[in-house]
Amino acid sequence: MSLSLPQLLGCLAAAQAQEVAPALAGLGAGTGGDANYAAGTATTTAMLLMLLAGEAATAAGREAGAAAAMRAQFGDVPEGRDARMAALGERLQAAEAAGERTAVRAVLALLAAEAEADFTALGLPLPPH
Amino acid sequence: MPAERLARFLGAQWGEPVAITGVKRFHGGSARETFRFDAVRADGRREGLVLRRDPASTLIETDRAVEFRALQAAYGTAVPAPEPLFCDMGSEAFGSPGFIMREVAGGRAAGLFDPEPYGDDAAAIGTAFFGALGALHRCDPVDFGLAAMAPDAAARSRLDHWRRAFEADRARPEPVIEAAFRWLDRTPPPPPPRVTVVHGDYRSGNFLFDGPRLLAILDWEMVHVGDPLEDLAWAMDPLWGHGSGRAAATVADAEAIAIWEAASGLTADPTALRWWRVFAQVQGATIWVSSAREVIDGRSHDPVLAFAGFVPYRFHVATLARTLGGLA
Repeated sequence: MSLSLPQLLGCLAAAQAQEVAPALAGLGAGTGGDANYAAGTATTTAMLLMLLAGEAATAAGREAGAAAAMRAQFGDVPEGRDARMAALGERLQAAEAAGERTAVRAVLALLAAEAEADFTALGLPLPPH
Repeated sequence: MPAERLARFLGAQWGEPVAITGVKRFHGGSARETFRFDAVRADGRREGLVLRRDPASTLIETDRAVEFRALQAAYGTAVPAPEPLFCDMGSEAFGSPGFIMREVAGGRAAGLFDPEPYGDDAAAIGTAFFGALGALHRCDPVDFGLAAMAPDAAARSRLDHWRRAFEADRARPEPVIEAAFRWLDRTPPPPPPRVTVVHGDYRSGNFLFDGPRLLAILDWEMVHVGDPLEDLAWAMDPLWGHGSGRAAATVADAEAIAIWEAASGLTADPTALRWWRVFAQVQGATIWVSSAREVIDGRSHDPVLAFAGFVPYRFHVATLARTLGGLA
């Protein structure tokens, strides 16, 4: 994923502290405050937290599954998601350059399976292919 | 947004005292900060207005006058658009560059997760939405202040634009997006018969509607000259289909294309449209990578940007991986 779990949570915490809390304080004190914007920020945060709860519960299992699928295909698997993705990218580019369509399809199938699992883990459906 | 600032600016523009009430910031616009307010004029008339101004952190780098110029050109044509009123490129009037337009009363925009946002009016909205896009593609880019471009430069120009953004903002290995850029590079599309105005973010969620009526196309900040299929492909991208499987949650893809062809007087070349549909996913993925970068670098703590770098990002990486598998 593009954003890591700590990065996402840090962003949400900052949004509550710097946008929502001051607005609520202002409203409570009767000195105004942008309730509309604060409510929108809080709502988006709540939705993201629900998604992140699922993410935290399933990310390790998905990573293990993706690494196992790559190991079954290629044997060697670098440690960690980013290193594994970089290795898949190198394999794909090399297969493209060599015109090895079967190898290209094999790497793309791994990437597609992992990307689809990452998205559907959010509880959202992908459109039919 | 201090009301006094707006009152001072509008008072100077209209040459009369103006009172400002009900300033409310909308949540969600990540390219601009958007505020709705009432301006009460000297005779007591109340006008609903909208201010769009640059935020400190912007998801999409654009010329700040471009959107205002596009609204001026589109307003009053067959492409429904809000009426632009005043633009200020400095920071005196609004705190940062921005413009004021008249509020379009009575409409609403679809949210990304609204299932079937147009209900029984989906077909009517689809006809209006893709028809208005065709009408936009009949407009003269010169009227929008857009520079001329050779048709065979359209695809390369956009590909280079988004590649630069991707290279600048990528934070982690992105083998799927990289592979998609390579495919787009290897298989350039046939050029369009003519370059047109391209809205740049024409999609469900970026227009106001009321029942079956399309009231206004919004968010013109990415307008440029180029291949009209860029807009058509973006509008038809499944991300904007609300899970319906239909183009913009309105009509079937084939019908959307037919409506657009009739309105634009152009034909959607299937090979070119296929390229632009892959491009649309790459553009989306790059925007989401850029939004994540804003968060990673601490330039923004807007949950909308965090959401973009998380959910739509995963959507487009998944659809791109599947698409590339089908093309290999």
